[in-house]
Amino acid sequence: MSFVSVRSATLLGVQGAPVDVEIHLGMGLPGFTIVGQPDESCRESRDRVRAALLSCDLPWPNKRITVNLANGSNERKGGAGLDVAIAIGLLVVQEVLTVEAISRFSFIGELGLDGSLRSVAGIVPLVAAIDDRTVVVPRIAEHEARIVAQGNVCAVATLAELVASIREEVPWVHQQRVSTEVSQSELPNMSDVRGQSAARHACEIAAAGSHHLLLIGPPGAGKSMLAQRLVGILPDLATTDAITSTIIHSAAHSALPPGGLVTRPPLRAPHHSTSLIAMVGGGTSSLRPGEISLATNGVLFLDELGEFAPSVLDALRQPLEEGVVRVARAKSSAVLPAKFLLVAATNPCPCGEGTPGLCVCDDRAKQKYLRRFSGPLLDRFDLRVAVTRPHVDELLASSKSESSRDIALRVQQARSRAIERNGCLNSALTAEALDEYAPLTKGASQLLRHQVERGRLSGRGYHRIRRVGRTVADLRDQSEKVDEMHIAVALALRVGVQPHFSGEQAM
Amino acid sequence: MKHSGHDEGVIAAVLATKPQLTCRKFSQLLATAKPSDIAQSLDNVRPTADECERMAKRLELTCMSVTYVGAHDYPQTLVQDPTRSPVLFYRGKLAALNQRRVGIVGTRSATAAGRYLASHISFDLAERGISTVSGLARGIDAWAHKGVSVAYGRNADHSHLGIPIGVVASGLDVVYPKENVELWNFVSEHGLLLSESPPGTSPEPYRFPLRNRILAALSEVLVVVESRATGGSMITVEEAHKRDITVMAVPGSPRNSSSAGTNLLLQQGCAPVVSVDDVLVALGLDTRESHPPVFDERDALSPQDEALLKSMAGDALTLDQLVLRTRRDVVDIAYSLGRMETRGWVINNGGWWEVLGMQTPAGYGGFHGGGNKLGN
Repeated sequence: MSFVSVRSATLLGVQGAPVDVEIHLGMGLPGFTIVGQPDESCRESRDRVRAALLSCDLPWPNKRITVNLANGSNERKGGAGLDVAIAIGLLVVQEVLTVEAISRFSFIGELGLDGSLRSVAGIVPLVAAIDDRTVVVPRIAEHEARIVAQGNVCAVATLAELVASIREEVPWVHQQRVSTEVSQSELPNMSDVRGQSAARHACEIAAAGSHHLLLIGPPGAGKSMLAQRLVGILPDLATTDAITSTIIHSAAHSALPPGGLVTRPPLRAPHHSTSLIAMVGGGTSSLRPGEISLATNGVLFLDELGEFAPSVLDALRQPLEEGVVRVARAKSSAVLPAKFLLVAATNPCPCGEGTPGLCVCDDRAKQKYLRRFSGPLLDRFDLRVAVTRPHVDELLASSKSESSRDIALRVQQARSRAIERNGCLNSALTAEALDEYAPLTKGASQLLRHQVERGRLSGRGYHRIRRVGRTVADLRDQSEKVDEMHIAVALALRVGVQPHFSGEQAM
Repeated sequence: MKHSGHDEGVIAAVLATKPQLTCRKFSQLLATAKPSDIAQSLDNVRPTADECERMAKRLELTCMSVTYVGAHDYPQTLVQDPTRSPVLFYRGKLAALNQRRVGIVGTRSATAAGRYLASHISFDLAERGISTVSGLARGIDAWAHKGVSVAYGRNADHSHLGIPIGVVASGLDVVYPKENVELWNFVSEHGLLLSESPPGTSPEPYRFPLRNRILAALSEVLVVVESRATGGSMITVEEAHKRDITVMAVPGSPRNSSSAGTNLLLQQGCAPVVSVDDVLVALGLDTRESHPPVFDERDALSPQDEALLKSMAGDALTLDQLVLRTRRDVVDIAYSLGRMETRGWVINNGGWWEVLGMQTPAGYGGFHGGGNKLGN
């Protein structure tokens, strides 16, 4: 036998693609070539496979070996996940295993020099890409693989064990399922936040309607504390969302919870030195998902928003609008999901004090500081609240604030009301849908009219206020119409960031 | 000499650029001699024909006029001044100085309430035909002139309005700060823009205190709207004191460091300004006739809103701080604030809420027309 084809998969973005690893053994000078657009880590598999086979007392052919990666596309194939398939193919062409024995399997995993199987980035999407064949994965990744596998999943720890199992000399070993539940008490609790009633209320609205939130306040006011707790009041992920998030985390080789499935909304808080590529994705030939994709179905928290590179911030605009990011490179392109709740924090001005009358920055300095964020980005924050350092009385108060559990209950109810009515969360309502699902009372439309007439509200802002008003109504009294109070609250929680008395329209 | 063909003003302008000829000496010489005579008698500063040619062109190009001590149009108010400028460069009409003049100065980092007040006072003064003198700096200065520009925008006939006077530190062709360029043009078009610096002079820091002395000398009454305990406005106040010019100050919250300077002035005995009437009285004008009835066009507040407004007590507060202060529900307060902002009672300044005048007849009368009049 000089030729065999073994099924495996490669990753592009967050999507796996099945690959046939074809192996040919021919006469000629001993050598090993991989063709079919392999990337660097793929090419290195020659040395890993050879060492692994020899470590497990399995033979290595001293002939001319050609490996072809075929999946009908011209895209670059990356990753070390093809190691096991190559090793198995080599064993078949040497007649250690039979073609019939391996034909119902596909293989995913990296080989260690000692013959052990290691997990690779994107186990979940890779397994999802395989048809109903039995997938062999490293034991460490068994739980992840089971989440999405269409066929059976077999897990092994070493190459020797794998060979023995395929020959049916030893039975396949299955692990016990572990609990995927995360207990609420482990998460940071809103009751730890003293005072900050406005900011806490804004968090509740943000969670209930998925409205983007900007916290304006000096360092030490508790902005990151609030952002961490915002995740805690979001409900558990629905099954499809959980699988999407799991796939993205797996593709980025980011740690997964013990059960394998991401059931809680993720929180990503990249540092302000984060590069454009790390934020939106790309970078490797497999187009690794960036922070915005990792935050899908969860919260992306950007502390010190002004310190981020302007290009990084402006790259957020399209994903914020569309919920996906299209990453394209010369050789490949991918659509990565990026549907996240954006929470950002910034100082109000260079001196950080903010309070008019105590702050020493002049108008120009303030404007210059805030001009770092482009207007279109600022416009996308439905909620903008000033946060101050808590008062000493509040810090020392013995009474605890409302706990996350109670808030989460209200949030959950408001969200299900919105979904039942609109079919989507309130932040996703279109302008036409607003008229249908969020009709205004007379007082409310008057209030909004005043604001628009005075030039305090743009057309886009007008719709955003109405969406927030809808969420406030859902949280408060479940009324059909959005009334004056709901709009007033929405207005009070969306403060103007540019100084009011600037430009001609102010007068 | 060849420059005899040139205008005296051009020669004075060239002499003003000579570092060898100090301001004081030049001013003394001008008291007795014409600029061309001075140029003849002093060898080390004698202007060449080329210099005069260039200066004449430059003045024409930048639309600047020149007046000097001894010239027939040199401002009367400055002639007697001990530290008068020998040469003044200006755009616009010097006749503006024949009007009654009120200087309005203040800090560059003003609160929203301070900016609001500065523009309202100058608006009211302009409506009564009184000139506003200010320095066109950031903050209060700019807002004082913005009030005047609103008055000009509202009236088709400008003849009865007060004329804006701007005194700046840089050359008139060097706009600083740049964002005030529209105001700068407004003042030179409708009023008088004045500087003692020759064309092209950049705004070096030492020029500002010198500018302040001219600003003070040109004001009959100086109103300080908001000022820290030290700073440019306090220098202007000192210059005004030296010249025996009435200084008035707008009182502010003691917790507000932007009002530290004005409150200090009040402690030292200067008169407070709570309405434009106070300024009119200081100018010795009859306030009865010129004064339209004080009333607030803003909708009356509910008792609940009024209580909230009172508890704010003139401080700038965030929503959280208000919740802590009033112990009311956050939604409740947000509702009140949203309502009051729409009606023009409060304003949100980047997350902090400020009060725009209380609803009392004894309050600032300049609010007639309220928030709606200036359409903020």
